[in-house]
Amino acid sequence: MFLKIENLKMQFGGLIAVNDVSINVEKGEIHGLIGPNGSGKTTIFNVLSGYYKPSGGKIVFDGKTISNLPAYQITAAGFARTFQNLRLFSSMTVLDNVLVGMGHHAKTGLWKTILNPVAVQREENIFIEKAMNFLNLLEVADFANELATSLPYGSQRRVEIARALATDPQIILLDEPAAGLNEIETEKLREILMKIQNTGVTILLVEHDMKLVMGICDVITVLDYGKKIAEGTGAAISNDPVVIEAYLGQEDL
Amino acid sequence: MNTTSIFIQTLIGGIGIGSLYALIALGYSMVYRSMGLVNFAHGSIYMVGTYLGIIWYTGLVLGLHVSYPVAFIIGVLLNGLLGVLLERIFRPLAKLDLMFMLLGTIGLGFVLDNLAVIIFGAEGFAVRSPLPNAPINIAGILVLPQMLLLICVSALLMVGLQVFLSTTKTGKAMRASAMDHDIASAMGIPVNRMNALTLAIGSGLAAAAGILAAPIVYVNPAMGAAVGLKGFAAAILGGLGSIPGAIAGGLVFGVVEAISAGFISSSYTKGIAFFVVVIVLMLKPSGIVGETVIEKV
Repeated sequence: MFLKIENLKMQFGGLIAVNDVSINVEKGEIHGLIGPNGSGKTTIFNVLSGYYKPSGGKIVFDGKTISNLPAYQITAAGFARTFQNLRLFSSMTVLDNVLVGMGHHAKTGLWKTILNPVAVQREENIFIEKAMNFLNLLEVADFANELATSLPYGSQRRVEIARALATDPQIILLDEPAAGLNEIETEKLREILMKIQNTGVTILLVEHDMKLVMGICDVITVLDYGKKIAEGTGAAISNDPVVIEAYLGQEDL
Repeated sequence: MNTTSIFIQTLIGGIGIGSLYALIALGYSMVYRSMGLVNFAHGSIYMVGTYLGIIWYTGLVLGLHVSYPVAFIIGVLLNGLLGVLLERIFRPLAKLDLMFMLLGTIGLGFVLDNLAVIIFGAEGFAVRSPLPNAPINIAGILVLPQMLLLICVSALLMVGLQVFLSTTKTGKAMRASAMDHDIASAMGIPVNRMNALTLAIGSGLAAAAGILAAPIVYVNPAMGAAVGLKGFAAAILGGLGSIPGAIAGGLVFGVVEAISAGFISSSYTKGIAFFVVVIVLMLKPSGIVGETVIEKV
């Protein structure tokens, strides 16, 4: 098993945000995580990326328990993520934003920068080339030297994905990547996600755009009030009465 | 001597002392930016840094008299190490309310001040200048060589810092980590280590300022109080959290101080300088450079 979330529980004071959730993610799949607002999707992401320590259960990735590692080591273990609200480094260029994600692969540290600037420059050039590849993949290479925040919204979203890919992840957690995108941009995003899957990166996707989710996810897990209520292919999920009730119930409010 | 050359001479003095304030202000601003913490022990860290360098130069350690540049480097590095230790102390503090940060850092300042009194005694000493003590005459303007050294080395350090932060990988990682802790750690950047580096650089710059100023000022365990306060005022004046702001704030503060001492009255220097800070902040609350300060929650 590639990524195994075992009986995960996350409690904030009296509020149980995630209650005994187990999810298995296979290597190379696009795994959807859906559910009404407040069902615990982003909380699971935050536990996965190491911002919260789980109140119970554990996360095993490639045979190793990672739920007790600090966030930066989880990244080093092969996790990357994007955020619901855009959070690019605002006073940096698009290229620098992506380069920051590559820092932990650098073999040249601070001392080498001072003692052997040539080797460092060589490494830097390789990094820039790689970063440009990611920007090309996400079709935002034209903006490389512009300030990240000066880009149109849809492009900023793609820069965020490029930045996450730059950490060279085995699995990427995307938190509502289609939020705020128009139909054409969403279609583009779908193509990009397929391209990312083809490079061998596993995708865990939180998304409200059902058309997108149903269209590309191999497996979908449905959450409601912090509990897993269903799991299966898009077709199976959309006919599951429990799932329909969870969504319609919310609409009645 | 005419008024113009007196004015220029005063201005140079102001830039000299202003460089000192700027280096201190940088320490406040960098730490605030990256940890969201105002380090009120910074004045004491400046004093400790001064001692950590000057003691090697004046023979207080085993009677050693190393050369001034070597003492300078030793002081900067040792104070940088102190900065790394401070990160461990500040890590829990940075998560608390402003009041606790205030008490914690002020308390740490007292501890450092009193440790210095215990180790070196309450009395201070004058430091012999490594350069000739007589002012040199440049086109009718008299300048102390040590003052020129202070200005030049400070300028080099500030330019170096800017280049480091904007071009090197580590510098970019530090900026990224200051902008957004969560994202930075999701990018694989060890945020605590970046904070430690920030404190090391801030403390190193404070030591550099202190060792450069030592032959001009009087070295004693209480020397950090006034400079710490003025450096803080300078950081606020420029816009707390902004690096160009800290430099601008320090220079403006120094120049205002020198001009008011030279042309109005030396007894009112502090009053006038702080009055200018108040006026500037009333007109432009975000400081001279006025970077929008990100609210850390």
